[in-house]
Amino acid sequence: MSKIYIVEDDKSIRTELAELLRNAGYETECLTDFSNSKHHIMESESDLILLDINLPSVNGETLLKEIRRETDTPIIMVTSRVSEIDEVLSMSYGADDYITKPYNPTILLLRISAVLKRSSKENIKTSYRNLQVNTAKGSLSDGNNEIILTKNEMIIFQLLLDRQGQIVSRDDLMTALWDNEEYINDNALTVNISRLRSKLSDFGCENAIETRKKQGYILI
Amino acid sequence: MSFRKFLADKSVNICISLFAWLIIWNFLSAFHIKSWQIFIIGIIYFLADIIKILWEYLRRKKFYTDIISNTENLEKKYLISAMTEPPEFYEGQIFYDVLCETNKSMCDNVAEYRRHSTEFQEYIELWVHEVKLPVASLLLMCHNNPETSEKYSEQLRRIDDCIENVMYYVRSENAEKDYLIKEVSLKRTFNASAVKNREELQQRNISLKAKNLDITVMTDSKWLEYIIGQIIGNSMKYFSPGREPEIDVYAVENEDNVILHIRDNGIGIPAHDLPYIFEKSYTGENGRTHAKSTGMGLYIIKKLCVSLGHEVKAESVQNEFTDISITFGKNDFIKIE
Repeated sequence: MSKIYIVEDDKSIRTELAELLRNAGYETECLTDFSNSKHHIMESESDLILLDINLPSVNGETLLKEIRRETDTPIIMVTSRVSEIDEVLSMSYGADDYITKPYNPTILLLRISAVLKRSSKENIKTSYRNLQVNTAKGSLSDGNNEIILTKNEMIIFQLLLDRQGQIVSRDDLMTALWDNEEYINDNALTVNISRLRSKLSDFGCENAIETRKKQGYILI
Repeated sequence: MSFRKFLADKSVNICISLFAWLIIWNFLSAFHIKSWQIFIIGIIYFLADIIKILWEYLRRKKFYTDIISNTENLEKKYLISAMTEPPEFYEGQIFYDVLCETNKSMCDNVAEYRRHSTEFQEYIELWVHEVKLPVASLLLMCHNNPETSEKYSEQLRRIDDCIENVMYYVRSENAEKDYLIKEVSLKRTFNASAVKNREELQQRNISLKAKNLDITVMTDSKWLEYIIGQIIGNSMKYFSPGREPEIDVYAVENEDNVILHIRDNGIGIPAHDLPYIFEKSYTGENGRTHAKSTGMGLYIIKKLCVSLGHEVKAESVQNEFTDISITFGKNDFIKIE
């Protein structure tokens, strides 16, 4: 389980953010004493840091620079400053991503997971039951046979696989698809899911994706 | 400065001189001074008068001619006191000093308002950052409590849109800061905008098609994201009930520019409204009969585009389509090899 460190001075956002991340299966720790921020952050040994720019007593960008000098723990800047200048500065100081408030929580989770995967702090699941997932080729294989998934099917399957055993809402699937430049509509999602189901059952994985009414889908 | 008018202005002086000469002449005649002697005195008297008037005229002529021609030629007429040499004659100096004084006072006055306006703008920027915190917090709460989420997050997105409008209005009014032009991927920027508007697009069953966006342009990605978001927002507002709503987004790369088209098959814009849609507070027929409009959206877009050096144009046929295009200039000098 990856541990995420939250540096955020607004108490209400901090609590909600922590809850969001815990629900998504991360371990969280929050900074509450801003007098010696850097020390606390370094001590926590987290896998990822969410860092706000407007902080009491220290500027987030300065803090970012100081942390970067000592560790290459992934850092995502989360800020209410919508400004290209701040983004470019943050990225040049070594931030891994830059997200502006108010953010879409699903997008935030996708970004976190992407950054963690890139820094390989999170294990990338490459197998499902007896199947090997080849993301680069966009295919599934059981050693003998190989089936090519479309880009949409791969995005859906990857998200379900990442959260295997948990319900993934249609909204989350939609966000992930749109985030990957696949601007599909509701019906197309249903079609994609059923195609994915039939491809999986070709490998003998019957009922791999279950529908939970009004909630979403779950990969068993 | 015309001599005739100057002379006319001096008519009282001339009358007094003539009157005085009449008295002198009578006086001299009474003492039986010979008439040729009176004549010589007269010549001296009037010559002195003429020289006096000419002298006065010439001294003033340079200063006033300068001040008139400078005022005519200057674009910023309030700079006149800095552009004109101080005169050598006394009344002129008084006039010149007063001119400088009033000018300075006006400058102070303008500076005061400028300061007010900057302070107000800074406060708005600060306020925008502040108000985004509770919105962010509420959005997270909605997500954490999915049973209430849908309705509430929709309203929160509306609030966020209003906040963005205020922020970009302030930025467009005072564009010298807050933006950074660099190479930006159209695909990425459009994607950010699309994801942001996804829920609303899907609720209205609008299909979004993006083609040929793998191009980079020189712009500020945050501003462009806002601009695209606004245009998509308009398309969503004015869709036509008669057909499947569609928004097509594509870019065309030419030799010296890149043109981004955002085209919808909505109700279109009446031809008589089309030339004015980028004007401040212009709502037009659609704004009155269809969705509510403030007439600010396209005005802000236009201002932002002008600041960034892009050209924004609208083409439309009523009841058929609206196509808003943004033209980005190409300039290899800006690219860092």
